[in-house]
Amino acid sequence: MSGLVQDFRYALRQMRKSPGFTFVTVITLALGIGATTAVFSVVDQVLLHPLPYPDSDRIVKVAETFQGVSGTDASPANYLDWAAQNSVFAEMAASRGWPANLSEGDRPERVKGTMVTPSFFSLFGINPILGRGLAESDAHAGNDHVVVLGYGLWQRYFGGDRGTVGRNVRLNGEQYSVVGVMPPNYSPDDYGELWVPSPWGVPSHPLAPDKDPRQFRDRSYLDVWARLKPAVTPQQAGAELDTIGRRLEKQYPNEDDKIGVSFLPLHEYVVGDIRPVLLVLLAAVVVVLLIGCANVANLLLARAAVRGREISIRTTLGASRQRLLRQLLTESVVLALLGGGFGLLLAVVAVPSLLALSPPEIRQFKEIGINREVLAFSFLASIVCGIVFGLMPALQASRSNPSEFLKEGERGSTANRGRTRSVLVVAEVGLSLVLLVGAGLLVKSFARLMDVNPGFDADRLLTFNVGLPSSTNAAQQFAFYRDVMQRLQALPGVRSVGAVSRLPLAGGNSGRSFKVPGIDKDYSADIRVSTTDYFRTMGIPLMKGRNFSESDLGSSLNVAIVNDALAREVFPGQDPIGRQLTNFGPDNLTLQIVGVIGNVRHVGLDTAPHSEIYQLLGQAQWPSVFVAMRSATSDATSLTSMAQSAVWSVNKDVPLANIRTMQELIANSVQRRRFSMLLLAIFAGVAMVLAAIGLYGVMSYSVAQRTKEIGIRMALGARRPDVVALVVKQGMMLVLMGILAGTVLSLAMTRLIAGMLFGISATDPLTFAGVAVLLGAVAFFANYLPARRGASVDPMVALRYE
Amino acid sequence: MIESARSEATKIEAGQPLIQISDLTKVFYTDEIETHALSGIHLSIAKGEYVAMSGPSGCGKSTLLSIIGLLDTPTAGRYSLNGKTVENLDFAERSRIRNQEIGFIFQSFNLIGDLTVYENVELPLTYRQRMPAADRKARVMEALERVGMAHRVRHYPSQLSGGQQQRVAVARALGGKPSILLADEPTGNLDSRNGEAVMELLQELHREGATICMVTHDPRFAKHAQREVHLFDGKVVAEEELKKLLAETSA
Ligand SMILES: Nc1ncnc2c1ncn2[C@@H]1O[C@H](COP(=O)(O)OP(=O)(O)O)[C@@H](O)[C@H]1O
Ligand SMILES: [Mg+2]
Repeated sequence: MSGLVQDFRYALRQMRKSPGFTFVTVITLALGIGATTAVFSVVDQVLLHPLPYPDSDRIVKVAETFQGVSGTDASPANYLDWAAQNSVFAEMAASRGWPANLSEGDRPERVKGTMVTPSFFSLFGINPILGRGLAESDAHAGNDHVVVLGYGLWQRYFGGDRGTVGRNVRLNGEQYSVVGVMPPNYSPDDYGELWVPSPWGVPSHPLAPDKDPRQFRDRSYLDVWARLKPAVTPQQAGAELDTIGRRLEKQYPNEDDKIGVSFLPLHEYVVGDIRPVLLVLLAAVVVVLLIGCANVANLLLARAAVRGREISIRTTLGASRQRLLRQLLTESVVLALLGGGFGLLLAVVAVPSLLALSPPEIRQFKEIGINREVLAFSFLASIVCGIVFGLMPALQASRSNPSEFLKEGERGSTANRGRTRSVLVVAEVGLSLVLLVGAGLLVKSFARLMDVNPGFDADRLLTFNVGLPSSTNAAQQFAFYRDVMQRLQALPGVRSVGAVSRLPLAGGNSGRSFKVPGIDKDYSADIRVSTTDYFRTMGIPLMKGRNFSESDLGSSLNVAIVNDALAREVFPGQDPIGRQLTNFGPDNLTLQIVGVIGNVRHVGLDTAPHSEIYQLLGQAQWPSVFVAMRSATSDATSLTSMAQSAVWSVNKDVPLANIRTMQELIANSVQRRRFSMLLLAIFAGVAMVLAAIGLYGVMSYSVAQRTKEIGIRMALGARRPDVVALVVKQGMMLVLMGILAGTVLSLAMTRLIAGMLFGISATDPLTFAGVAVLLGAVAFFANYLPARRGASVDPMVALRYE
Repeated sequence: MIESARSEATKIEAGQPLIQISDLTKVFYTDEIETHALSGIHLSIAKGEYVAMSGPSGCGKSTLLSIIGLLDTPTAGRYSLNGKTVENLDFAERSRIRNQEIGFIFQSFNLIGDLTVYENVELPLTYRQRMPAADRKARVMEALERVGMAHRVRHYPSQLSGGQQQRVAVARALGGKPSILLADEPTGNLDSRNGEAVMELLQELHREGATICMVTHDPRFAKHAQREVHLFDGKVVAEEELKKLLAETSA
């Protein structure tokens, strides 16, 4: 033990003795460990931590399947049957998003609420911090106007006032009494601002809020949650649900045709697609750390050459190999811990920026930060680094033959040390190439994605969401929207205004099934309800037929406009104008196609357009709409406050929600890709710089060792360019080997990010070539500087005899 | 080959010396000290001459040799080589002349450890523009045969004795068919037997027409030369004067 203390003291003295070396080492390690720690803190919370509910690994998300493919929602009737027939779940609950206009005094606000079954809170195992949750008795007509507030809304809107419980608030123009407040960060989705019950127990249908939903079997809009009984395995639960699903399919051959049931652990549902992204980023940042370690190992190797004499003397004095190893490793571990300490500070600073960059899937984990596990991780990472980069130099130094050093000074094993250092540099170049290729592929994918024509003109478009309570009748709603449209259109600086039920890239979608006369086939398409001016405002081209017109509103003919994708899918090679769509939706409407418009990328720029059917607002209704306003000036956001006043002048209880420009929506829709691209690009850049520094170090060392040789060559007539070429050639050989190794490795590795690419193959030769050229150019510089130094050697050194 | 060597030689007009140095000085400036390594050297060496330079340690022999060899530039004075003024040439031009006109033989052999005997001898020729590989090979083998090392082409310097290494170094100096061979204490690192062998080799080369300028402080070897130049304190002195000066300093 006292030996260790002595080693530790000696290590500190060594660090003080060479401050430059210590500085470079600590900075390199701080960067590597800091970045790794920051990424790990995200991985820790998102992937490794259980969700903040008691026994959260027992909670699952249940959903209908269609033809064996899992969906995300379920119909009320199916939900009720599952709940009644299963024996594997301790509890089940259903919910649906319930956006509401909250108004207290003169501050209306649109909030993201949820309508739930009373079992919702007990299923998640969360108790209110104030008042109570929802009870069975609340879910009955007459008792159902109670609301439980989320912590965030309670703080923001009610100032955290404990007296809020018991008060009445206006939601969608009706009185609700506040019965409780839930703790912070409680919600499996982002609709956790408030919760209300349904008078029928199960949440009502958004488009038919006044109807008893319990018999709806072909309208799937519920999110269904369940908690597995303690002794039940997921396999058992799956088997039983399968049986129930098949039974229901037989029992309801029309509504439940090809419908089954499946579930997903809640954690997987919440974390979703972000898992592979995070794992790739973690792998990338670990590679950066390894490259940093290789650099430090290189510095240590160079130093080992200098310290050979000291070590020889220690050996001569009887130090055992183990003793020497321990001392050398203590030195490197102390260095690593120091680097890790600074790295931790860096991580503390970096994590907020990382979160700011990150997509909502990550940001929903509010607890991300430096906690005890992250601390332990960075401590462990530091120690492992210290051993990784210290072991090879220590082994080499402790192996050196003392007589060699004492007798011959520099000669002997120097060539061998040079080889180890070269191998390290080749590895660094290779690994950084892998990261660069990955980053290159993501950057190129992103560029391709941004080149995708979304099907509309996103410039100068302001969009927002307005909604009247769904309890208002159709005529009131239509009158409201019509008034709002007229007032908005009259605003100065507004080119045109349109409204639509589902705006592209704003999230959310709805579908309907339909048939075509003469074809025995069920089709399905996305459904939109829009105003006449919507297409013109968005710049969506009319390809055939006509637009909606005012006169359609008075007509008994239900008109529809379909997109090009539907026309091609359903009417290939035929003229769809005048054709009918029958059995449309649950009400079995018949629609007549009057026009065909261009395709729009609704789900995402990277998702091919689906078939779409547009109905005219007025002939069909929708509880809330997105308004799109095209501005005459380049700054569309300047219209915001005028738009708000215009809406308020129609109804002072209706707030604007989700106010965003279309460009923002596009940016948001690619946020996850931008996040992974940016991070990987940063890591690849750092890796490349570290590799270049490593190369620079090795070449500088080599030039210093070859000073005499260079002098001799000059005395024999080598010109400066000859010397530069000599050194650069030596270095570029290493680079070339690194690039070759990296290319082979990349070909194997890029498969891992194939799922993150768009419009480009994982082996895109242009990216591979471009990255190799970039790395080659940077490496050339790292070579050129020491080579220049080599070329300035005074040929007189050839004459000097030491 | 022989042809071109002759044409090089014909560039010198009859009577004009190969090396003509007049009033040459060299001052080293280090921190506060000025070291006058050479102060007013006059020296001419004719083609085919064998000159030995001697003098006590620190008198400026190596400095003078390095200026003759265009490794260094004089502080003042004139130096013409092969009739061409060379004291003010740029680095590239001096590299070219070093490569073509000068053959160096160093005290510590200065063979490059990573290169074979063959590659070491070939090295100066690789710095020549437009020399066909076949010519290069012929020259290398010719030079190695001349010094009796042709049987060791694939060896590395570390596999040779000191005497053999110095013979390879001589071959390297010869390979470029230089106008003059410059040797700085070529026997300083050799035992007397190997030293004698190298001196004999130089003498043979001289008999065959080579111009040689050799620095040595060993009077036995100096006697091999046609002419001895004595340096003292940065100046050329006559032999009797040198003896007198040496006696004074030791007194
Ligand atoms: N690069 C240099 N910088 C400063 N002084 C030098 C340098 N080279 C040689 N000298 C000095 O010049 C003088 C002549 O040195 P040198 O030519 O090497 O002597 P020699 O070869 O005759 O022993 C000595 O006093 C030496 O210290
Ligand atoms: Mg000398």
